[in-house]
Amino acid sequence: MESTQAPAATALRPLPLADEVSAPFWAAARQGRLDIQRCTACRHWIHAPALACPACGSEELAFEPVSGRGTLYSWTVLHHSPGPGFADMLPLIVGIVELAEQPHLLLCANLLQVEPSALRLGMPVRVCFEWLDSDHAVPQFVPAGDA
Amino acid sequence: MWAFSNKIAVAGIGYSALSRRPQRPLMSLAVEACDAALADAGLTRKDVNGLVTSPAMPRYGGARGTIDGIDVVTPWALSERLGTHRHLAWTGSTNAMVTQGFQEAAMAIASGVCDTVIVYRALHVPQGSYVNYESKYAAAGDQFMAPYGFSVPPSWAGTVARRYFELYGYSRADFARYIADNRANTLKNPNGFWDKPLTRQDYLDARMIADPMSILDCDIPVDGCAALLLTSTERARDLRCKPALLTGFSAGTHPAPAGLPMTLDDIWIGCEQVAQRLWQSSGVRPEEIDTAQVYDGFAPFVYLWLEGLGIVPRGEGLAFLRDGHGSLTGKLPVNTGGGALGEGRLHGMTQLAESVIQVTDRGGERQVPGARRAVATISNGLTKSTAFIFSRDE
Repeated sequence: MESTQAPAATALRPLPLADEVSAPFWAAARQGRLDIQRCTACRHWIHAPALACPACGSEELAFEPVSGRGTLYSWTVLHHSPGPGFADMLPLIVGIVELAEQPHLLLCANLLQVEPSALRLGMPVRVCFEWLDSDHAVPQFVPAGDA
Repeated sequence: MWAFSNKIAVAGIGYSALSRRPQRPLMSLAVEACDAALADAGLTRKDVNGLVTSPAMPRYGGARGTIDGIDVVTPWALSERLGTHRHLAWTGSTNAMVTQGFQEAAMAIASGVCDTVIVYRALHVPQGSYVNYESKYAAAGDQFMAPYGFSVPPSWAGTVARRYFELYGYSRADFARYIADNRANTLKNPNGFWDKPLTRQDYLDARMIADPMSILDCDIPVDGCAALLLTSTERARDLRCKPALLTGFSAGTHPAPAGLPMTLDDIWIGCEQVAQRLWQSSGVRPEEIDTAQVYDGFAPFVYLWLEGLGIVPRGEGLAFLRDGHGSLTGKLPVNTGGGALGEGRLHGMTQLAESVIQVTDRGGERQVPGARRAVATISNGLTKSTAFIFSRDE
């Protein structure tokens, strides 16, 4: 999976603060991999990472790599800056991506390398990674073409 | 249907001035609204033995703390200020929207804990902006949203409206009539924030916040307070105003997927769940409703509630409004006082107060003639959402 360099910003965007539950997700992102939490009992995929499986209640959860492919569930185009770190990035697209692994397994990210007018419900997208600073990489998505 | 259906009533409505950044502290506005509700009912502070609110401050990503009386008004500080702390039997404070506190107040009266409760909501416009993510880190649920700029509530609603538009082929133009008619309703409401009409073109030209959410799709933040006085129907009949009977209510427990604040599909499920519980609690059917006061903190919730309530099928709520059926003279007048878009952000108190106004014939120029039943819904249908049926006393 490719790596995309963040545009130079005068202020930093908020950095994800890994916690006891989410740390493996962010550790994988730093390695350019999208890992999603999964229930070892019923095999249900879970995002955002949880303390127990919302499908079966099991607390036996682990992270597994996913394909990084999905489709566009919805989006919005930000015209108003949500904070000092975004002022130079407008208009900014926030997409809700439905990952290929499971219906309604949704994750939000910015959609890069695409114009708002080209967005369609259900369009295929694939993950890439963007470094917010030298320690924090976040998954982002780009159009996947006909793949 | 409940045992206490129609046995609890709203007997008084009080509003403070609603404005942007007034010189007066929020506590002063809360006192004004509570005293106005008491005066409306013909009661005094001595008669109050319950006080409930949600003293939350929806500031996102800010570093400043919360000061009681300036940023929020808790029932404990307010009761001291009103001098009711010596005789109150109960105070309530909910983390959910204040309308959950309204339900607790009704149950407190039904159980005999209290006989007269004020439900109030005081909201303060924070310094700077409601949303300005200044923190270096995004923790807990924010860590999956704020790094992407997805920390602005209108942007959450934007993803809901966008999917709806794309699924059914709608655009913002289909919503313009509702927004313009809603402003006309506001101008008939003495508590309305706005004093100028709005054209459909004004809506289409409005400044975009998070496409397709413009500034006119969001309730305007105000400093102010609204208060409702609840008591038993029996007692209310001896008071100054005609009572509005609480026929039933319900609350939602359907969560959004972890990592997202809301999605269209979950909102539908949630609204339908809240509605089903509402019809069950009240014994009322959707076709018996004369006016709908549905939550419009973000305007797309209006058409989604009409669908969730079963007034129209999924996907047809916006067409219903586009065709004028929700206007004051339409099939089902919606947000007859202009809703929160018109009054400003009062977190659902607007929908409750307007329901009371309509079933007690106090709507003046915006009165739905002979309205017998009003439905009020608050929030977006997901967890913490609430819904109410108010009936005329007849």
